[in-house]
Amino acid sequence: MPIISVTNLSKHYSVYKKPPGFLGTVQSLVTRKYEVVRAVDAISFNIDEGELVGFIGPNGAGKTTTLKCLSGLLYPTSGKVSVLGFTPFDRKAAFLKQIALIMGQKNQLWWDLPAIETFLLNKEIYDIEQKRFDTIVHDLASLLDANEFLQVPVRKLSLGQRMKMELIASLIHNPKVMFLDEPTIGLDVVMQKNIREFLKEYNRKYKATIILTSHYMGDVEELCKRVIIINFGKILYDGLLSDLVKKHAPYKLISVVLKEYVDPKTLEGIGELRKFSFPEWIVRVKQNKSNETAAKILKHFPVEDITIEDPAIEDVIREVFSQPDKR
Amino acid sequence: MKLYWQIAKNTWDQAVAYRASFVIYRLRNILWVLTLYFLWIVVLPENTTLFGYNRAQIITYVLGTSLLSSVVLATRSQDIASDINEGNLSNFLLRPMGFFRYHFARDLGDKAMNISFAVVEIAVLFFFLRPPLFLQTNLFILFLTLLAIAVGVVLFFFFGVLLGLIGFWSNETWGPRFIFYQLLTFFAGNLFPLDILPKQVFRFIELLPFPYLLYFPMKVYLGQLAPLAVYKGISIAVVWVFLMYGITRFVWLKGLRVYTAQGR
Repeated sequence: MPIISVTNLSKHYSVYKKPPGFLGTVQSLVTRKYEVVRAVDAISFNIDEGELVGFIGPNGAGKTTTLKCLSGLLYPTSGKVSVLGFTPFDRKAAFLKQIALIMGQKNQLWWDLPAIETFLLNKEIYDIEQKRFDTIVHDLASLLDANEFLQVPVRKLSLGQRMKMELIASLIHNPKVMFLDEPTIGLDVVMQKNIREFLKEYNRKYKATIILTSHYMGDVEELCKRVIIINFGKILYDGLLSDLVKKHAPYKLISVVLKEYVDPKTLEGIGELRKFSFPEWIVRVKQNKSNETAAKILKHFPVEDITIEDPAIEDVIREVFSQPDKR
Repeated sequence: MKLYWQIAKNTWDQAVAYRASFVIYRLRNILWVLTLYFLWIVVLPENTTLFGYNRAQIITYVLGTSLLSSVVLATRSQDIASDINEGNLSNFLLRPMGFFRYHFARDLGDKAMNISFAVVEIAVLFFFLRPPLFLQTNLFILFLTLLAIAVGVVLFFFFGVLLGLIGFWSNETWGPRFIFYQLLTFFAGNLFPLDILPKQVFRFIELLPFPYLLYFPMKVYLGQLAPLAVYKGISIAVVWVFLMYGITRFVWLKGLRVYTAQGR
């Protein structure tokens, strides 16, 4: 029994377009042209308990809209959504107590008050005992190295500090299902790593189900075994990250460092040339040809060093994205 | 219950966080009271009556409605519209709590803040101006006054929320709110006691919800209403409360369907 099940979910927005300039403004007062944007268009997927799934897609692909539907913020135009056995839009207390939606871009903290005030409020909202509350806040704050900021008004905090407070505020009720929208946006590399470690640990410890969107492939690579790729409101790929590479990028990159200069013309016919600037030489070959080609290179060229690599995940994803809009 | 206490407290703290702006807002209130005070002092010389009000009664009415507007009309519901349009409503929707209760608690926090300032202000005015005031000593009438105020608070709450909910459909919600406040100044009896109006006009206004926010509770306090008139007034106000609750709830549920959680 999957913990999240989505069947033919669609969400359409109607957006009005204003022609530019003053005349456009006047015109838009009288008549407005509305256009239907299919942010999410009949998508289906299932997610089991304890899974950590990466949701990837370019800006405007429909990721956030999907997360908003899953957490009950949006009323779906059509389709069925079930999370933990609930219909999210009903926003039953029992459902809301088990989920969290964390957005890297906005905050739930009371802007003018110290974060601890928001935590206390959440403690009451989620009905958490004092003892458990103290333990959780202490644990989370130490884990995120944020104890000293608890008493500072939120508006005085830096982006990173605020994000830490945001995470604590969202996790005080120990949610079983977490939707994370760009949780590491704007954070430095050390913090990004801390947050990843933290999420991994949280997922393991509480068997929490996590869906994560991110533009940092690092987040996805390190955390998610399974990815769902979405673009133009449709799912392009749903499966293991490792299979994605095999399926969409069945090639390897051979990078060679040459000992002495060779005429670029002699390189022709060996794989697909990606880069040549002496002494560096990179070719792309079919996955099953990599050994054969490497042997050939070693035999015919003055090689200082040679490595065979998988293509970078960013490149694979870019390749998937660059498929045309089929709507 | 503790939750809503915490919300009220946070709202209070937030008001304190912007001390200057709050003090200026109160200053505007004081100027308003002073204007009305001096106006009526001039209009109504000592030992005269006008429309059945003597000097003490009219001054009590003016200062009283001003204190009362700090109780009844103080609200944070203007935040609802911007919360909707900036997507902050999402924070609320994600957590298990009642929308109406949440905002009511916020209003109470804001009211508490306003009342404590208003009391100090009026005490200061009283000290300097020594205005003639009418003191109600009948405990039962005082109880009815409190009841009328409570009904007024709830009634105004739904108006505030309803105006905020316009945010689901439009970005421009200050216009309607402004018009509403203009209407209030007149129909709620903020400028003068409504019963000095021609009878037919007054009869009509009595059926509207607005007089039950300021005019009516003040009138009860002054002891100028027969018991039957008090019960009739409270009944009309209660009917309006239920009507407004129904409308507001309906609009809220409609609004949620078109909510786009934008800006997030």
